[in-house]
Amino acid sequence: MTQWLLAAVLGLLFALGTFLVLRRDVVRVVWGVAIISQSANVYLVTMGGLAGAAPIGDFRGETPPPTDPLVQALVLTAIVIGFGTTALALVLTYRVYEEHGTIDVYDLGGEGL
Amino acid sequence: MIEIVLAVVFLPFVGAALAPAVYRLLGERTAYYAAGVAAVCLALVTRLYTAGVGLDGGTRYAVDWVPALEVSLALYVDGLALLIAFLASGVGVLVLVYSGGYMHGEPGQSKYYATMLAFMGSMLGVALAGDLFALFTFWELTSLSSFLLIGHYTSADDSQYAARKSMLITVAGGLFMLAGFLLLAWAGGTTLIAGGDDSLVATAGPTIETLRSVGLFVPALLLVGVGAATKSAQVPFHVWLPNAMEAPTPVSAFLHSATMVKAGVYLIGRFRPFFLGAEGGGAHGGGAAGSRGSGAAAGTGGEGAAGEAAGEAAAAAASLLPEWSVVFVTLGLATMTVAAVLAVAATDIKELLAYSTASHLGLITAGFGAANALGAETGAFHILNHASFKAALFLVAGIVAHEAGTRRIENLRGLRHDLPVTAVIAALASLSMAGIPPFNGFYSKELLFEATYELGHELGGTAWLFPVVAVVGSVFTFLYSIKFLSLFLGDRPDGLGHVHRPPVSMLAPPAVLGIVVLAVSAVPNTAIDLLVGSVYDSTVPGAAHGFSIPFPPSKLKPAVIMSAITIGVGAVAWPQYDRLHHGIRRVLAGPVRANWWYDNGVDGLTSGGRDVGEWVQTGLVRTYAAWTIGATSLLALGGYVVGEVGLPALSVPPGMTPAIVLVLLVAVVGAVAVTAAPSHVAGVLTLSILGFMVAIFYILADAPDLALTQLVVETLVLVLFLLVLNRLPAYYGQPSPGRALRDGALATLAGATVFLTVVLSTSATPSEPLSGVLVERANLPPGEHASVFTNYGGGSNVVNVILVDLRAADTLGEISVVAMAALAVLTLIRMRTRGDTR
Repeated sequence: MTQWLLAAVLGLLFALGTFLVLRRDVVRVVWGVAIISQSANVYLVTMGGLAGAAPIGDFRGETPPPTDPLVQALVLTAIVIGFGTTALALVLTYRVYEEHGTIDVYDLGGEGL
Repeated sequence: MIEIVLAVVFLPFVGAALAPAVYRLLGERTAYYAAGVAAVCLALVTRLYTAGVGLDGGTRYAVDWVPALEVSLALYVDGLALLIAFLASGVGVLVLVYSGGYMHGEPGQSKYYATMLAFMGSMLGVALAGDLFALFTFWELTSLSSFLLIGHYTSADDSQYAARKSMLITVAGGLFMLAGFLLLAWAGGTTLIAGGDDSLVATAGPTIETLRSVGLFVPALLLVGVGAATKSAQVPFHVWLPNAMEAPTPVSAFLHSATMVKAGVYLIGRFRPFFLGAEGGGAHGGGAAGSRGSGAAAGTGGEGAAGEAAGEAAAAAASLLPEWSVVFVTLGLATMTVAAVLAVAATDIKELLAYSTASHLGLITAGFGAANALGAETGAFHILNHASFKAALFLVAGIVAHEAGTRRIENLRGLRHDLPVTAVIAALASLSMAGIPPFNGFYSKELLFEATYELGHELGGTAWLFPVVAVVGSVFTFLYSIKFLSLFLGDRPDGLGHVHRPPVSMLAPPAVLGIVVLAVSAVPNTAIDLLVGSVYDSTVPGAAHGFSIPFPPSKLKPAVIMSAITIGVGAVAWPQYDRLHHGIRRVLAGPVRANWWYDNGVDGLTSGGRDVGEWVQTGLVRTYAAWTIGATSLLALGGYVVGEVGLPALSVPPGMTPAIVLVLLVAVVGAVAVTAAPSHVAGVLTLSILGFMVAIFYILADAPDLALTQLVVETLVLVLFLLVLNRLPAYYGQPSPGRALRDGALATLAGATVFLTVVLSTSATPSEPLSGVLVERANLPPGEHASVFTNYGGGSNVVNVILVDLRAADTLGEISVVAMAALAVLTLIRMRTRGDTR
């Protein structure tokens, strides 16, 4: 079924994440990436259907059928990997500050577009 | 016999692999070891020949190579293959013996002999390949070994430039050829080249029909043609050959006159029956095959009637000039003439010979290009003749350079006083090159004249240019040949220092080649009967016939008149040689030279590539993100527009409870707050609100595993952020309004794309989702279904079983990623405190 509300929410989250990725402050870039990956996860779970029991235990004969276990398994992996990359990005930010005394990407590499 | 054929191809590679070890034992005498390997190959080829393999129609041998892809290592032996194999192994023996004298005291000898042997193996592979991919592989191997040999003097810039140039041009041409091969393999449904009923040549008719029906016949012809033209140094790709003379002279004699550059004309000869075969078998010019057949049959009779018979039959069928001839006769004659003119302008004896080589390869190309029997005779015979006299001349040039210490034409004269034997060989070979009767070069040139005259006679109009250009090119050929000969005539100039006598190892090989020139000159028809006749058979479609050379000509044919004109004009123009030489040099400047295009092209590509790289790779996250997100959004939106997707009706989906709506709204508020956060701490806390709302969303969406993971991860991330932010400066001001507007626009674009994508993708529900299988199989008692999850997975939580059982390896990878990240974090922090950095 068409998820209009979720589409709007995900669109907003993605837009905000994109806006943050384009900021000059490296910490905000990391936030942006975090928001984008959160919304991607939510999108995947949405694709598995919201109505339905958790795919645990005995669910024979139940209506509606349980939610899609496959996307949940995918997202579980994604959450953990996302944690790893966020942690690494944060520590890199910290290192950048230690090395260069700034976390302003304009000072670090110019303004770009 | 298959063992012999395989041994011929692979023995040189084994020899090459052992060469460095042998060099440690034997030192400079490795030359004779290498020559021995070549001699064994020559003996094996001779064994094939005496056994009569391939002389009456080709014989194919196949060994499975990549059976899954139906690629076999097919080897094919016929007249053409035997001729090239004889050249590669025979000239190989001579050149390697010669190297023993020439390379005395030179650097890098073990590499030199190993590469020479590897080259010889590659060339034998090209000659005997019966499969498109085998041919391509060996073809590129010859380019590679040529690169190594041209760049033999690794410290000389000229040598490096020349090696790169030859590599770029020949390898690029090889890639064109590969594209052509793929077209042929697709159309023919086979990669076998010739022989049997299932090869490309045997099925030329239907294959060409297929190609023509999709308009790919001419592209395929041109692609294969580019491969041949780059390898055989045809105009405008001839530029690499003169530079290749930076290689040691034996290399020039071997690769760049007798063998490797012959690969291109070999390719033309090999595919000639295929591309011309279609003319008879296909819809085009049904009469052409008949005319060629009768022409060839008349050729068997010899006695000068061949020309007329072929001419009449061809005139009867003078429907159209096949594309094959348009491409290759034009290419060949242009090369023959341009390169001959450039040879007259040469100042260095090896440069002269290089241009002359290109010119003679043009002659062979033009011969094969002519779609009549005479053309094939020209090509077949001149491959042998050119190899004999040109390899001899290169070896002579090597003796001159080695013993007189200079290669400049203006400094060399009267060498016959110091090098009497060499002078005799040079005289034989250069008279043959000039096309003076009764030497062998004359016979094949005469055949070319006849072939081009036939074309002119048959087609009329502009086709008469063919014989005219052939004569003009031959006049220049005559001139530079006599110039080379004149190095040995006249008086010794004062500037020429003491000239040593060459050692026997350097004198014997050119002498052997000189004897070959003499032998073929004396009894051309015997040479044809022995081998050249079956070479001719390999290059014509349909049934096999022999041919013969009538000499002296029984009557005054047009070709005889053309030869007379050539020699007459050449003799008249000879006194003006210096004026011609300087005149041509004056004209050669700027864009007239193909080199100008090559150098500017390569420089332009190099600097252009650097500029594009600097422009695209700015190293700024901002730029990358903007381009990636913008391009992805536009492509996705464009896809929706093109696909004309319609929006579904507005509805409330099942499962969308008020609780979920509330949670999602709070999540959005959190995200807005993150974006607007005045400080890092405020941002992190609001980011956490978003994260915990997502966790609650997972609970409400019946995904308890995700919710648990998300809660743990969110907590950890919050702690981590707070730890790090404690040490970072607070932030830095607002973006300028213009920039905020631009970023806002891009963000809106991305958001709109995601909105549309989610709407469209959630409205389409697959009828049988993959998850249905998993759900169906889960938690069923044994007997009803194979209960994968409970029995083998050991759990009833499907998500868990997927992660730890069905995709266990994937999960292991995931854990490794986290471990890597942890290690990287640890290293990044510890490295600083240890003070390892600047």
